[in-house]
Amino acid sequence: MEKITIIIDGKQVEAVKDQPVLMAARENGIDIPALCHHPELESSGGSCRVCLVEAVQGGRSRIVTSCNYPVRAGLEVNTSTDQVMKIRKGVLELLLCRVPDSEVVRGLASKYGIDEPRFFKDEGENNRYKCIACSLCTQVCEDVVGVSAISMQNRGVEKAPGTPFHKDSQACIGCGACAYACPTGAISMKDSKGVRTIWGRKFKMAACSVCGKPYIPQAQVDWIVKTTGKDRAFFDKCPDHR
Amino acid sequence: MKAITSFEQLEGYRERVKAAQKKDLPSVLICFGTGCQANGAVAVAEAFREEIERKGLKVDVNVGFKTTGCHGYCENGPLVVLRPKDVLYLKVKPKDVPEIVEKSLVGSEIIEKLVYKDVNTGESVAQYHEIPFYKYQKRIALRNIGNVDPRSIDDYLLCDGYKGLARALTMRPEDIVSEVEKSGLRGRGGGGFPTGTKWRSCRAVDSDVRYVMCNGDEGDPGAFMDRSIMEGDPHSVIEGMIIGGYAVGAKQGYIYVRDEYPLAVKNLQAALADARAMGFLGENILGSDFSFDIRISRGGGAFVCGESSALMRSLEGKVGEPRAKYIRSVEKGLYDKPSVLNNVETWNNIPVIIRNGADWYASFGTRGSKGTKVFSLVGKVNNTGLVEVPMGISIRELVEKIGGGVLNGKKFKAVQTGGPSGGCIPDSEADLPVDFDSLTQAGSMMGSGGIIVMDENTCMVDVAKYFIGFLVEESCGKCTPCRDGLPRMHRILSDITEGRGREEDIETLTELCDVLTCAALCGLGSSAANPVLSTVRYFRDEYEAHIRDGKCPAGVCKSLITYSIDAAACTGCTLCAKKCPQQCITGERKGAHVIDASACIKCGVCKDVCNFDAVRVE
Ligand SMILES: Cc1cc2nc3c(=O)[nH]c(=O)nc-3n(C[C@H](O)[C@H](O)[C@H](O)COP(=O)(O)O)c2cc1C
Ligand code: SF4
Ligand code: FES
Repeated sequence: MEKITIIIDGKQVEAVKDQPVLMAARENGIDIPALCHHPELESSGGSCRVCLVEAVQGGRSRIVTSCNYPVRAGLEVNTSTDQVMKIRKGVLELLLCRVPDSEVVRGLASKYGIDEPRFFKDEGENNRYKCIACSLCTQVCEDVVGVSAISMQNRGVEKAPGTPFHKDSQACIGCGACAYACPTGAISMKDSKGVRTIWGRKFKMAACSVCGKPYIPQAQVDWIVKTTGKDRAFFDKCPDHR
Repeated sequence: MKAITSFEQLEGYRERVKAAQKKDLPSVLICFGTGCQANGAVAVAEAFREEIERKGLKVDVNVGFKTTGCHGYCENGPLVVLRPKDVLYLKVKPKDVPEIVEKSLVGSEIIEKLVYKDVNTGESVAQYHEIPFYKYQKRIALRNIGNVDPRSIDDYLLCDGYKGLARALTMRPEDIVSEVEKSGLRGRGGGGFPTGTKWRSCRAVDSDVRYVMCNGDEGDPGAFMDRSIMEGDPHSVIEGMIIGGYAVGAKQGYIYVRDEYPLAVKNLQAALADARAMGFLGENILGSDFSFDIRISRGGGAFVCGESSALMRSLEGKVGEPRAKYIRSVEKGLYDKPSVLNNVETWNNIPVIIRNGADWYASFGTRGSKGTKVFSLVGKVNNTGLVEVPMGISIRELVEKIGGGVLNGKKFKAVQTGGPSGGCIPDSEADLPVDFDSLTQAGSMMGSGGIIVMDENTCMVDVAKYFIGFLVEESCGKCTPCRDGLPRMHRILSDITEGRGREEDIETLTELCDVLTCAALCGLGSSAANPVLSTVRYFRDEYEAHIRDGKCPAGVCKSLITYSIDAAACTGCTLCAKKCPQQCITGERKGAHVIDASACIKCGVCKDVCNFDAVRVE
């Protein structure tokens, strides 16, 4: 971990070489809006384009996405120049056209003065509900959970996550990591009466032996036991009562 | 074939192949490019074989016979060339073959009906190199295509093949890089990045593994220069890559070929096998301590797969989707190793640069763009096809001299260059030299070298709409500006062409262009503004005519035009009335006819069939 000093919005700050500019900014209390980046997922980011900033390096200035632009010596970052604000606003307007129902995007857009986009909104067949196609869900499923139950499908406007052939995924363990990772709350997950419904499948929940609350899908317990060799008894109790 | 393990052996072998050649044998060369094959070249070749045999002649004894790669003049295929007289026959059919063999191969007569006729002068030209389409070309990249049988490594060796490699192996790798730098060669895949600089940066990164890759994805609709090179002269690409591998320190190369190019794959595979057998690939090439091999990978199909980061993902077996390139691929490319990706034509130039020297190469072209470039010249122009010219030739020369001018004597309006995300350059700028920097300054780009000629009957708003429509379909959907911005741009353009344009549209479009250019993830999105910005820049009045006056000046946009018949010019021949699919033209024989505008679907059939130019479009 090589520490270097860079400049963000005129301030000298410490950062780690090759760390994303977004993280360096956040660690130094500088806020940059971002939707599709997850600090635990190396391949995440670069999709929503909300985190744009101006990067000046080697005398060259350009607009880059801070979530995957690496910190290197001599870098100067400006997070809210007129141009950055204008382009970011433009991106948010387009996002709002895609997911007019998303509270997150609506809130962010309104901060930039957009309450209604000037362009047509996606509806009917093109309505992907709140999904901004950032693929955080599929990355979590593949890289963190390790089951690859869902993947990004189609291209262009049609791009969206889904299970293979839109059939119930046999690989899915119902863990809900995708739903937690989703920045816009686009993935529907419902827990009711000891049953979790996600991606069109129902999962029976295992209950805590102390409080009796169903807290984890049985399939997830099986998966963890199978892949890590963890003692099954460990899952008798929910995290609150372990 | 025993592998060649020294330069002396290579030259010895070359001499033996040369000696075995019967020079000045009357020969027939048949174009076996994809275009000519589609037009029936296979049957023509078969007819030649039969006819030669029937006449009791023997190939390689009395006559020469060869099938070659694409000559670039595909619309006139199948092409047949006769050597040594250098006669070109066009649109040859199997039934023409006996006459050709009798009169032109055995005899020395020229068959008038098969030679090129200049549409402008009416003159016939039989000599290949005197035909305007070829006369003004300078063929460096296409040096061998049409002369060699792509399946014969001996043919390639006869054209000084693998001499560049032999020379390279006597040089220090860094000197090769310097030579390429000095040649001024810039990437032919679109970006125009200096090739030598790319190689140098790759060498500079510390790593024990490096890769070189060839981009043969060629996704631009209508472009086929890379296909022609891979099909027609596969060894030139392979030789270039071996030299590149040696120069940057790679042991493995990959050729990424578009899946729709089966013939390119076949010819490359055969060439790789031959090169391996002769010792140009594999361990200890030509007795040196350099080892290198090449694998072919078939493309993922999408246009965006040609983009460098998507291509590398695809080569790794993942989904071919672009990713951020803030860390360049010369540093972390294929499998995160330092990698060099170059276009087919870029690689194909390397052997001649090394063989003839950087100064020789740099003597062609302009200050900032050295050498030649292959273009695919299409659209409303008399001669279409693949042409190679020195960088810096003007658009007008390309269109008028090589292209033989605009079709049907219409007025030249613009050229669109650079593929779907290129731009349009108007007649008023047609003296512009065609090179990387001039095209970019003019609001277009070199791209892979597509040039579409447009005449006065082209609506520029419609053109912008067409290209944006293409890009909407090809957007991978990963990033917001491209995925969600392009369809909105397309909607605005559709509105304009359908009479729903609003005063603020041009400005809104420009704003959207700005978002795409600055914020899109990959080159597809960030260059997608060109079709709109360039047409707004040069043809703003046309946009305004659509928006303000509800008129399409070029008479293309159906919602904005009406068809009528000029009573004074109409002779009452009734032809249009007979042809109208709507049956909405009425009138007496020998009397002026009238179109019922309410039923007219503006198909334009009446205008096309009228011999008296009486149909008006407004
Ligand atoms: C959307 C898109 C498509 C591309 N398609 C191709 C292609 O088909 N062939 C190609 O050589 N380069 C293509 N490129 C350019 C490559 O990304 C890359 O710059 C090039 O292969 C580098 O080789 P060069 O320096 O020899 O030109 C494309 C770029 C973009 C953005
Ligand atoms: S610019 Fe278009 S093609 Fe490129 S990553 Fe974004 S959506 Fe995909
Ligand atoms: S957070 Fe950086 S592009 Fe989405």
